[in-house]
Amino acid sequence: MSTVRNGLILSVLTLSLLLCAGLAQASDPGVFAGKSGKIDIAGGTAHIPVMKEAAKRIMQTSPAIRITVAGGGSGVGVQKVGEGLVDIGNTGRALSPAEIAKYGLKSYAFAIDGVAAVVHPKNPVANLTHAQVQDVFAGKITNWKALGGHDAAIHLYTRDEASGTREVFWEIMLKKGRIAESANVVASNGAMKTALAGDADGIGYVSIGHIDASIKAPTLDGVAPDQDNAKNGTYPVTRKLYMNTKGEPKGLVADFIAYIQSPEGAQITSASGYIPTR
Amino acid sequence: MAGTGHTPSRHGAGRGGLSLDRLVTALLFTAAGVSVLCVAAIFGFLAYFCLPLLSGDQLGAVLSWHWRPTSGQFGILPMVVGSLLLSSSAMLLAYPLGLGLCCFVHGLGPARPSVDLGRPLMAVIRLMTSVPTVVYGLVSVFLLVPLIRSGFSGSGFSWLAALLVLAVLVLPTIVLVLDSQLRLVGPPLRLTAAALGLTRAQELLHLTLPLSARGLKAAAVLGFGRAVGDTLIPLMLAGNAAQVPHSPLDALRALTAHIALVVATDSQSAAYTSLFACGVVLFLITLAVNLGLRRIRSESTRPEGNWPKSSWPGGGQAGRRACAGAAMSRPGLRLAERALPPLAWAAALSVPAAFFGLMAYLLWRGLPSLSLALFFGATPPLAALLHGAPVFEGLWPACQGTLYLVLVSCCLAVPLGIASGICLAVYATGRAKALLNFCVDLLAGIPSILMGLFGFALILLLRKTLWPGANTCLLLSALCLALLVLPYLISSTRSCLEGLPPELRLTGASLGLSRWQIVSRILLPAASQGILGGVILAVGRAAEDTAVILLTGVVANAGAPGLLTDKFEALPFHIYYLAAEYQSPQELGQAFGAALVLLCLTAALFAASRRLQAGLERRWKSGSTTRNGSLRA
Repeated sequence: MSTVRNGLILSVLTLSLLLCAGLAQASDPGVFAGKSGKIDIAGGTAHIPVMKEAAKRIMQTSPAIRITVAGGGSGVGVQKVGEGLVDIGNTGRALSPAEIAKYGLKSYAFAIDGVAAVVHPKNPVANLTHAQVQDVFAGKITNWKALGGHDAAIHLYTRDEASGTREVFWEIMLKKGRIAESANVVASNGAMKTALAGDADGIGYVSIGHIDASIKAPTLDGVAPDQDNAKNGTYPVTRKLYMNTKGEPKGLVADFIAYIQSPEGAQITSASGYIPTR
Repeated sequence: MAGTGHTPSRHGAGRGGLSLDRLVTALLFTAAGVSVLCVAAIFGFLAYFCLPLLSGDQLGAVLSWHWRPTSGQFGILPMVVGSLLLSSSAMLLAYPLGLGLCCFVHGLGPARPSVDLGRPLMAVIRLMTSVPTVVYGLVSVFLLVPLIRSGFSGSGFSWLAALLVLAVLVLPTIVLVLDSQLRLVGPPLRLTAAALGLTRAQELLHLTLPLSARGLKAAAVLGFGRAVGDTLIPLMLAGNAAQVPHSPLDALRALTAHIALVVATDSQSAAYTSLFACGVVLFLITLAVNLGLRRIRSESTRPEGNWPKSSWPGGGQAGRRACAGAAMSRPGLRLAERALPPLAWAAALSVPAAFFGLMAYLLWRGLPSLSLALFFGATPPLAALLHGAPVFEGLWPACQGTLYLVLVSCCLAVPLGIASGICLAVYATGRAKALLNFCVDLLAGIPSILMGLFGFALILLLRKTLWPGANTCLLLSALCLALLVLPYLISSTRSCLEGLPPELRLTGASLGLSRWQIVSRILLPAASQGILGGVILAVGRAAEDTAVILLTGVVANAGAPGLLTDKFEALPFHIYYLAAEYQSPQELGQAFGAALVLLCLTAALFAASRRLQAGLERRWKSGSTTRNGSLRA
């Protein structure tokens, strides 16, 4: 028994060592070599996969650097970086002139992303029109039958007001129309995906980068919400993902932003489902 | 009581002893004063940040029925109604169940004495108190919500889901309060009831329960306070739509969940200010609950509470009551007599069934993911343990974070809590004692999310005034957690010391010891086991809380905890985060694995604490030999 377990542990050990070594070689964020310090990041939840992966690569090669990643939504990003509580505040929307003026923020875009209405993968509805989406979220259409689906009540999901995804969806898709107050509120892109993957009659919206096999994005007026259509402008509900700093970024923070915008950062970005800006 | 050791000690102590005694007294009162300060500071903060609402037309915007921050409407009334609806409905479900369960344990269980189901049942109830709320939340998101969705209509995230789980959460509070009261009242009545030929149901209905009115009310009030103050269950299960629900299947948003969702908005906006209005409402509810409890406690001086002294153990009044009850052949009471046993059985069966159902699901989902990889991901465990190699995709940094957090918060809270407990049990008298007791009880009732809000607002204020470098961090979280566990420490220390036989104190005084000598050489060693039990319980409470750290510095990804001023990961938050955000089946498995780990941790701490405190009780109830032994030591 114990020999089996020992063997298992040993093999796991060697395997993981090999893996670490392999990863370390594959990505060498050389700028950070020998540096130390910390970077606190918070805000946009669409950014999290990119930030996590970048943090992991940097911390693996430079153990003296600590990078913390938190979510919260774009509003949180603006607030926390504006108050100086974090070094980088992410937003999934452009800053408003008022926000820039109030806190003296600098924005650095690194990716193009779209926001798409999404449903459960087994939902038969394959296309929605702009007007249908607006009516559904306003609570005017309440049954899937009206959209060509089966006879079931529509369960609405929306994001909290701190969300940049919500703001973009509300401005471009809903034309600043009403979102029914009965809609369930979830706190992140990840949580939206989880909720819809489990609810066969649900509809919500997520960043395109978060769409995978667990949820389905019906076409909008016949246009598939994917990276290519977002890039060439055929899919209208798009936005950029930004990192924001208070004043000019310095030291490690500047290095980190440069790293995200570098070819390797771009590779992480596209692996996470977004289109790098460069 | 508190003054018994008072006068002799002054005569007995020498001059040096006296000044040391004075110093100690001053220190102890200072420690106890901290809780008063904390309560004042929390309320002061909430009120201070609310002030902008009073000027201008913002008050109208906040006291309205619509939460639409984008169009300048910040109505918190739907959340106030949501909180009240949710907690009262949870109580409506939990209270009869709790009452039934207590009746089952106190006489309505199986008739044969050989089959005593009461003890294991109470053990289950006590075990339930150790389950972290985030674990209930996680299990319910994946078990209960889909059940409601498929069984009824709607998305499943609803008032109903939250109320069911909240009922499970508050049930132990109700049962334990009721049980301790019935234990006091019940036994002396048994003979009287038997002599009158009453059935057990009649005995409970006509004698025991009416004479336990105090406990019945206290259980209701305490349970309600616990239900209103919980954050994680409404946040994870209630759907959080800012509306007044029309049916139990609609989503609602509780005040606590509202604070957690909105706190991170622009700190100069009205939305942020309105949160403090929510905080004040929650604080006032807590205050009302505590004032209610005080009233109930003071009722004990009225005739009803007095009866055991005047008629012990003959039960003349009890007999009168019973006769009166039996004579009152009102149909309602007859019906109640008949309904009570089935209710008791239903409660005794359904509550453990619900609890074990939830736990079995957790085991089923969590056990397969338990492995070294769960903790260390791809990093070699030895390298992580010995050399601090960074761990990604593992629980280890979160475990470390929780450990540091608990250590720091206990370093802050334990000395303060024990000192305040001593002060309350031995030193404080009269009005000072009443005030201190009230503040400790109030602090214990304040919802944990308010501690978090307090911490967050404190940091923002510090940054703008004294300390521009202040930031949310491990130290801040630990500080707020210390506030959370402080009242537990104080009341457990207090009750351990007050539970000691009074002779101990008298013996010390007659030996010419000063008050501090009596405390430090006799009372503290005698009560040490129980006090340690209280400390362990506080550790468990600090390890499981999520709402406080949510607002004060916990993050999803930080790696191993660094300095006290760094942000950190923690187990309960990790579970909450993964439950909402998991990107793959592995991550979900990790959430269940983490929940299992956290549950084992809190259950073990709880069991240890219970053992120590039970040991203390046994020691002072059994013969005098041990008593003398400890005196000599």
